Amino acid sequence: MIKSLIITHGNLGRELIQVAEKILEQKLDIEAIALDWQGDGSAMIAQLEKFIARNQGHKIVIFTDMFGGSPSNISTRFINANVEVLSGINLPGLLKFFCCEERNGNFRQIIKQVEQEAKEGINIISEYLGEKK
Amino acid sequence: MIEKTQLIHNKLGLHARAAAKLSHLANLFTSDIYLIYNEDKVNAKSLLGILTLAASVGNEIILQASGGDEQEAITAIGDLFDRKFDEES
Repeated sequence: MIKSLIITHGNLGRELIQVAEKILEQKLDIEAIALDWQGDGSAMIAQLEKFIARNQGHKIVIFTDMFGGSPSNISTRFINANVEVLSGINLPGLLKFFCCEERNGNFRQIIKQVEQEAKEGINIISEYLGEKK
Repeated sequence: MIEKTQLIHNKLGLHARAAAKLSHLANLFTSDIYLIYNEDKVNAKSLLGILTLAASVGNEIILQASGGDEQEAITAIGDLFDRKFDEES
């Protein structure tokens, strides 16, 4: 079982989760951490450490909002065989993660699929439609 | 393999919540299930695949299934379309 966490600037993560829950009409097993604008990130690190400790024995994916931002940079320190970080998460990526037919399958493969789906969700629509026609 | 031509009745067409219900239902069956709309064919078990169709109300879509429970799958999915995805009375 893969445990998931989303860490973002402000409440972006919480909002993304709420929208995904509305679309999928189910409560999602994911937690959100908001980076405190005023702080130095230490509160976020403490929350992240607790989450990882609580989910020992599981694979963990940490979704962050932007590569190079503090949520992403801080999360990167925790990467190991059981913990991966996927930056730039968006709604298509999050939906893919929770719709993935093989949620209990290969960890890396699932993360790869989410990455791919998130990227494919970004389109200049007129060009996309043009390509289809 | 069986196919059914299905009219899209609900006002919003195959939007996000409808696509989620459809893919969730399709995943309950072991058969391979596809949706064909215009020239596109997508896996009905993929929510995001369904969304790429941008299929709207008043248009027809082809439901295609092949496998041990293909008939049950087509019946159940056709019923979901006919119930307007339980979005409208």
